[in-house]
Amino acid sequence: MTEPPAAFAAELVGVSKRFGPVLANDGIDLAVARGEVHAVVGENGAGKSTLMSILYGLHRPDAGHVLRAGRRVRLRSPADAIRHGLGMVHQRFRLFPGLTVAENIVIGAEPVRGGRLDHTAAHRAVTALADRYGLRADPSALVGDLPVGVRQRVEILRALYRQAEVLILDEPTAVLTPGEADRLFEVLRTVAATGVAILLVTHKLTEVLAASDQVTVLRQGRVTGRFTTAGTDAGELVHAMIGRSLTPPAPRRARPPEGDPALDVRDLTVRDADGVARLSGVSFTVRPGEIVGIAGVAGSGQRELIDSVTGLRGGTDGVLLDGTPVRPGRDPRVAYIPEDRHGRATAPDMSLAENLLMGGQRTLATRFGLPRAAVRSRGRELVERFAINTASVDLPIAALSGGNAQKAVLARELTRPSRVIVAEEPTQGVDVGVRERVHALLIAARDQGAAVLLQSSELAELRELADRILVLFEGRTVAEFGPDAAEAELGQAMTGVRG
Amino acid sequence: MTAVATRTVRRVVLSAPVVAVGGALALTTLVMLVVGVDPSLAYPALVRGAIADGNLEYTIAAFVPTLGMALAFALPLRAGEFNLGGDGQLAAGGVAAAALALSAPLPPVLAVLLPLAAATLAGGLVAALAAPLSTRLGIPAIVSTLLISAPAVSLASYLVRFPLGEQGTGLAQTPPLPAAAHLPALTEGGYVTLGLPLIVALTGLWLYADGRTVLGYELRATGRNREFARYGGVRVNRLAAFALAGGGGFAGLVGGLIVLGPPYRFVDGALTAPGYTFTAVAAVLLAAARPFAVPVAVALLTLLQVGGQGMEREAGVPSQLTQIVQGLIIVIVAVFATVRARRRRA
Ligand SMILES: Nc1ncnc2c1ncn2[C@@H]1O[C@H](COP(=O)(O)OP(=O)(O)OP(=O)(O)O)[C@@H](O)[C@H]1O
Ligand SMILES: [Mg+2]
Repeated sequence: MTEPPAAFAAELVGVSKRFGPVLANDGIDLAVARGEVHAVVGENGAGKSTLMSILYGLHRPDAGHVLRAGRRVRLRSPADAIRHGLGMVHQRFRLFPGLTVAENIVIGAEPVRGGRLDHTAAHRAVTALADRYGLRADPSALVGDLPVGVRQRVEILRALYRQAEVLILDEPTAVLTPGEADRLFEVLRTVAATGVAILLVTHKLTEVLAASDQVTVLRQGRVTGRFTTAGTDAGELVHAMIGRSLTPPAPRRARPPEGDPALDVRDLTVRDADGVARLSGVSFTVRPGEIVGIAGVAGSGQRELIDSVTGLRGGTDGVLLDGTPVRPGRDPRVAYIPEDRHGRATAPDMSLAENLLMGGQRTLATRFGLPRAAVRSRGRELVERFAINTASVDLPIAALSGGNAQKAVLARELTRPSRVIVAEEPTQGVDVGVRERVHALLIAARDQGAAVLLQSSELAELRELADRILVLFEGRTVAEFGPDAAEAELGQAMTGVRG
Repeated sequence: MTAVATRTVRRVVLSAPVVAVGGALALTTLVMLVVGVDPSLAYPALVRGAIADGNLEYTIAAFVPTLGMALAFALPLRAGEFNLGGDGQLAAGGVAAAALALSAPLPPVLAVLLPLAAATLAGGLVAALAAPLSTRLGIPAIVSTLLISAPAVSLASYLVRFPLGEQGTGLAQTPPLPAAAHLPALTEGGYVTLGLPLIVALTGLWLYADGRTVLGYELRATGRNREFARYGGVRVNRLAAFALAGGGGFAGLVGGLIVLGPPYRFVDGALTAPGYTFTAVAAVLLAAARPFAVPVAVALLTLLQVGGQGMEREAGVPSQLTQIVQGLIIVIVAVFATVRARRRRA
């Protein structure tokens, strides 16, 4: 035999990476074959993103190396990685909203005629590509007008256009609705069937079990399990991830909530700048000791509802907190966990301590100002209490792993002295263990008399936590369900089908 | 331990300001060699021109307004607002101070304090005009401050020539201010005035407020991520307007300090001609978002500038050369920032 045995599409061999005191990757071996969907799972801070960044040339490993189709390659930058047929779909899209789908896909490798972008050739290439992989996308649509799920598809097409043979997706479903996620997995299947190797980082074990062929589990920078998906189950994966099994969810409390509503939304109508009603005549209440879930396909009025309840849309008589209208700006009586972590919930390049401070700066202030020691020690206290994994509270919050940044947001908001809690996708990007803890925290807050409004695109989460679920459709509340509603029922109401 | 030390040293040596200053000096040396100037003569002449032979007084006299203008740019910058209208705010402050000092005879201490307060107010008002343009109309402060600056300078110039002008001389300047309004001098030449301790104290106050007060925290949060600050309950529009007004206040104060210092009158163009505003912007950019580095960067650029004039006198090197150094520093800092942002994005 002169030919080497069929090599893996990509291999990471003995990869280690250290950030200051943190050993993010500790001698990791991982191999992905052509045509395989390979899931990478693990706790927050386990080192998944770091490993994927090394494979894409964003970080250089301290030790170990990368093999591509059996050959050793040196990846000094993403440009190197692209040249070697590696592609990455980023969670925060790097598309130009003002350009068309076709322009976004060909950018960097444009077909040119007479010194200009050849639009017809670009369209033809994109259409051919889209057909080949069964990824529907209108080449002439402006990216800025597209829903997130389609934008993500454009990112995938862009990688494929550059002939990626290894496609890396880091938590691709965190920003998708369940329907969009299902479509993504169909797409990944089609793409894998053409021989592309796919690496998929996710926290959702149902996705792992449904969409992958192989699973690698990381824990504290090391591989703690390698499984063939068909031969494993959620319990085994969880055990490899967190070293224990999940405790079954606490039994639902039987006692009904009582007292006057802490949050009272009355006939709330919200119009956008063009006068179009985004929310029409929405009414509901949330009483102390109650979790009310909001379900709905993206863009059904959730954003407007939550921005009204928190006061960020300005004051309105349609929202009463403990009987008085919500105050404009940000009503301090509401704790709010936003879904947009980078855009709203944090200032990525401020320190963890300063991110944890927001909202509480006035309570820490003395006559002489805001002592840094107090800011830090409050940060440390929250880090301790909420088990946030970080080397120091002085690091910019952007240096924390995604799940740990989310924990920081939760820590800040759940420690506010507020009786109303608004939570938007509170478990996005957190691992199964943390998810369990977040749920326990929300339930504890409820049991201590908080009124919780929970918006989640994960129906399982709503059914697990909410005492009642309201369904929004085109800006109206179209249905209300108890916690034992079937997912199918909810799904129908969400798409406007009358039950 | 030593590894940490080496890394720290490396980080400092490779930081944008150090590379920028080093690179700019290297390039300037190259230019000197090309045009046939001996660097071994030029550089000592530059240093002497800045600090020796009694020149230090001039350097300090230039340091004070430049540092004040640096605060005028740096304060709003912390909140994410670019105040490029320093010249207009400076001129408005100067005119307000001159007008007040000339209009009524004031008792000794007030004769200095009131014009300075009026100058601060005038500068702040001119800068605050830009705030509604950006929050209501969406014109960014970097544009609106600049737009307002030119008419403000012209208005000041008009006022100095006509209503406030010295009668009968035909010169574009106000009459000399009454002696009570003269800033007390700290040196024999009279060029270093009470303005020095005042600006130094204000710088200290700004540094303290920036790092250790609620206001400073909210300003920084507004600058880093406005939506985050808004979400946190900070009134970002008001704060941005406040920051711009505060910056303008510093600029106006500098105008007042110049007019109440030698030659104790508002000479048209004397406030804006030395280019304090531009040098200050360069210094703040060089300090690269490190507030404590701002006074250092201002000192460095002031030394270069005053020294450059000495170099011209002594070594026959055109003082424009120091402007080239300054320009190169800015270019290198900008390139650094872009490369870093690009690398982070890639
Ligand atoms: N640029 C950085 N500077 C300092 N520490 C970092 C940096 N990037 C990552 N880390 C640290 O390395 C560890 C691994 O982080 P990584 O982002 O790879 O985790 P992850 O498995 O992707 O977690 P998550 O599921 O929360 O996204 C974490 O402890 C993190 O704080
Ligand atoms: Mg991650």
